Amino acid sequence: MSSEQILALLPILVTSAASVVVMLLVALKRSHGLVFGVTVGSLLVALAAIGSSVSVMPQAVSSLLIMDRFALLYIGLILAATLAVALLSYAYLESRAERREEYYILLLLAAAGSEVLAAAGSYVSFFLGLEILSISLYGLVAYRRQTPLGIEAGVKYLILAGASSGFILFGMALIYAEQGSLQFAALAAAKGSSFDVVSLVGFALIVVGVGFKLAVVPFHLWTPDVYQGAPAPVTAFVATVSKGAMFALLLRYFIQLDLYQYGAVVLVFGIIAALSILAGNILGLLQNNVKRMLAYSSIAHVGYLLVALLASGPLAVSSVTFYLIAYFITNLGAFGVVGYLSSGEREAEEIDDYRGLAWRRPWVAGALTASLLSLAGIPLTAGFIGKFFIIAAGAGSRLWALLIILVVGSVVSFFYYFRLVLAIFREPDAGAQVPYPSASLAGGIALSVLTLLLVWLGVYPAPLVNLLGGMTSGLL
Amino acid sequence: MELLWLVPALPLLGFALLTLARRLVRGVAALIGVGSIGLSMLVTLWIAYSFLVSPPQSGAASDTVWSWIALGDFRVSVAFYLDSFSLVMILVITIVGFFIHLYSAGYMEGDDGFARFFAYMNLFTASMLILVLADNLLLLLVGWEGVGLCSYLLIGFWYRDPANARAAVKAFVVTRTGDAAMLVGFLLLFTSLGTLNIQDLLSKAVSQWPSGSGIAIAAAALILAGALGKSAQLPLQTWLPDAMAGPTPVSALIHAATMVTAGVYLVARTHAIFALAPPVQLAVGIIGVATLLIAGFSAITQRDIKRVLAYSTMSQIGYMFLALGVGAWGAALFHFVTHAFFKSLLFLAAGSVILAMHHEQDLLKMGGLWKRAPVAFWTFLVGALAMAAVPPLISGFSSKDWILSWVWSSPAGGPVLYVLALLGVLLTATYTARLVTLAFFGRERDVPEHVHPGGALIAVPLIVLAVPALFLGLIQTPRSLGGVNLFASFVQGVLPEPGAEGPPSTELLLMAVSTLVALAGLVLGWALGVSQARAHLARREAEPAGSPLHRFLLSGWGFDWLYDRAIVGPYRWLARINQSDVADWIARGFAALSRLLNRLLSLAQTGRLRWYATALGIGAVAIVAMVVFL
Repeated sequence: MSSEQILALLPILVTSAASVVVMLLVALKRSHGLVFGVTVGSLLVALAAIGSSVSVMPQAVSSLLIMDRFALLYIGLILAATLAVALLSYAYLESRAERREEYYILLLLAAAGSEVLAAAGSYVSFFLGLEILSISLYGLVAYRRQTPLGIEAGVKYLILAGASSGFILFGMALIYAEQGSLQFAALAAAKGSSFDVVSLVGFALIVVGVGFKLAVVPFHLWTPDVYQGAPAPVTAFVATVSKGAMFALLLRYFIQLDLYQYGAVVLVFGIIAALSILAGNILGLLQNNVKRMLAYSSIAHVGYLLVALLASGPLAVSSVTFYLIAYFITNLGAFGVVGYLSSGEREAEEIDDYRGLAWRRPWVAGALTASLLSLAGIPLTAGFIGKFFIIAAGAGSRLWALLIILVVGSVVSFFYYFRLVLAIFREPDAGAQVPYPSASLAGGIALSVLTLLLVWLGVYPAPLVNLLGGMTSGLL
Repeated sequence: MELLWLVPALPLLGFALLTLARRLVRGVAALIGVGSIGLSMLVTLWIAYSFLVSPPQSGAASDTVWSWIALGDFRVSVAFYLDSFSLVMILVITIVGFFIHLYSAGYMEGDDGFARFFAYMNLFTASMLILVLADNLLLLLVGWEGVGLCSYLLIGFWYRDPANARAAVKAFVVTRTGDAAMLVGFLLLFTSLGTLNIQDLLSKAVSQWPSGSGIAIAAAALILAGALGKSAQLPLQTWLPDAMAGPTPVSALIHAATMVTAGVYLVARTHAIFALAPPVQLAVGIIGVATLLIAGFSAITQRDIKRVLAYSTMSQIGYMFLALGVGAWGAALFHFVTHAFFKSLLFLAAGSVILAMHHEQDLLKMGGLWKRAPVAFWTFLVGALAMAAVPPLISGFSSKDWILSWVWSSPAGGPVLYVLALLGVLLTATYTARLVTLAFFGRERDVPEHVHPGGALIAVPLIVLAVPALFLGLIQTPRSLGGVNLFASFVQGVLPEPGAEGPPSTELLLMAVSTLVALAGLVLGWALGVSQARAHLARREAEPAGSPLHRFLLSGWGFDWLYDRAIVGPYRWLARINQSDVADWIARGFAALSRLLNRLLSLAQTGRLRWYATALGIGAVAIVAMVVFL
């Protein structure tokens, strides 16, 4: 491996090394503060390393990883989101009695797996990244092992994700048997005007696995149970980083193999998108559990993202990426508040827990309200600009049916987002008030930065839009 | 012009600080509230200075702060546009606004919602500044809606009294009626001309639409509807007298510097479209003259000092609309400027009187206040003379005379409009003189023992505002009185004059006539005031029954009665009998369908792992089948 390749790979290397360092630290001495500091520090170093990687890109590292602008952007996004999750986790874990430190090993490993997914250029690295990510997540999801819900969520995720990995692996085997290569680039070069049946079946099976990870209909059933059972910061990670990495891969795969020319593929994704938008929003409608509600909302949001993915053309990639960034910030903010108000003993997940939040914790209420408005796509938030670009991209490609469904779904979603906003601004119950844990500095910083970014992108999106325009031109 | 964005940004920042910081000390809140407008005023003065010293090449400068959404040709930017017209507007808004804020610091002392008050006031001013500086329709709409929102918040500022809350809702709903039409007008402009930029719109309209074409008439009429609502002109004027429910400085801000002048600004800004629609422009003039007469007659009968001033605003804005109707854009703007100063002065002085009277607003209970509240008296007198258009130095005279001479000589004007406008002059002088006589002269009727017309914070703004109210007319005088033409030549590039001026002799004659009429009005008003004061003293407690005509005028020509019967009542009736109408069916059906689907889909969320795994398998089979067989 040349030095340039090592330089290009630096963010992933730093993240992986950090997980080893943290593991050794934990073996030597249990200190939550130290482990947290090392984790945050190494994530910052990894983020800084992206700067040096930019100078040597695009760089293919063996045939597995492609470090181009696209990969680096998504790696940056993954690292930043992981950093936010780490900051939000500190106070959450601090209130727990025992075994706080291993959490960070798993978090760093999951981030490393996601980075590999974002840079994957072959089925091999795809599967490697996916498994590193998934196996770390099994542990993270079940981290609240004292509660039956936590164990249940972990087991459900383990079995279903294992099954979906099986689908992916079988699909890959079929494609390899037919095409004789695992490289995306080689597949793109070899493919004719249409796939043969075996490759098509292989491809369909991979879609099943990807669909499971993205939690789209009909593979969405696990989402609320797992989101509810997992600790709130982990839920934030599952909703953002794990989905974002998978979407990065899907985007690269779609464009490199130019899947737009296959009517059946586009149709399958169109149906998945439409069903996800409708089912996600309708299921969220009467949900009184905030974590489950946000789980359903995330199903719908992936549906919106698929609409943008299907709208081919130059606007598609940048609108998907913009929406994904807005989605990251918004969901990290929303789940971040849930985690911020939860303690090790008790998750603040019922809608009644939020009643009167505006009077008791006005700044936290402001952050959550901003996140909810952004999820609903109200102007002056990042979510509005994101949705605007998706609709513009969809209109450019004349996906009218999908756009109508998107609009209908958004209208339905207003109901449950604003139901929570309403609860936040109601007078608090005079009687029994849910106790909130005391404020934490790290979590407060993370929430403030997220809220500021959310408004900043909603008011002044131009710099990011220009950046994305430049970034995605390389991919096409 | 790089600093232009600061002009609206500073009050906006003040609003943000006042809103976010909780439990501010009064002094700090006042400092932020008044200081933000003060800084904004200083920036505006600096901009005005550099604009005068080195005018921009094309007569206008535009400053794009940032572009919000850019997508191909479609671009929405936060961009401000400065020409001589908007410069005049921001000068008046910030200067008058600053002194009203300063006055408020004294007037609102001791009120519970001190910081809240300044937060709203700052937002109000910021919205108005955004409105007049906006270079595209969307930003203009942001300012427009902001003004509407703040008027609602401030009219209902003392929200514990349900009457105030009702007045706030009324103002909001009535102006919203116009806003809805205006929004349609904006969409019409955008869809047919394909741009949101106001200057591009106007030039495209002029080049693409023939004069008198249907689309030009539709666009102008829809814009006019919005302007009528905000500017309280017939038939959307009914909210203004009730808007007196807010604290007096709010009335000053609404009537002088913001809100009601927004409509005048909008029509003058889009005058190119109105010029393409002669019938609509004629309607503007007729509406203006009708409003000024109706409001003038009503003002004569009011007992509440603030309601007299409210009707007077309506009638003065009526003059501005009349000027717009005859194409005298510059004269309308000039009357806006002088009116802003003398009307804010009148309201603030009236506020001082109200303070002196321990929040009693009934004119018949006042009297003889000239020696009890001398500052309020002298400054009010200046404002009153300006409003009554008494020559020669008083500012209102110059602007009103300018309007009258154009009404006579403009091709769109004529003797009929002129005579009606002259009747308005008589009415204005009458109600003004009546007001002054009742409040300040004669015997003290129910004046409290100890009067507190306010301290320095109240007196200083009054005295400062009295200066421009007295002398501002000097920058634009009739030809026979020096012929100073500073104002007209300054705004000439943006707001052209309607045609050639008439001969100087005619002008002199018109001036003499209107002066005589105004003087006659003063005498009439004085006589009215004296006789009403006497009658009140004689009867004391008994409520004057009044003739039907008196009651009719007192109620503002019964418009509220009419609207209640003709619109509100039937609307409520319709709403009542039509509670389960088709529109509801659709909404309810949608809700019921969503609930049903929610229940059905929730059935799948069993929580059982084996079912989840089965669903995964079924999904896989379905997708494979679709890919293979399609």
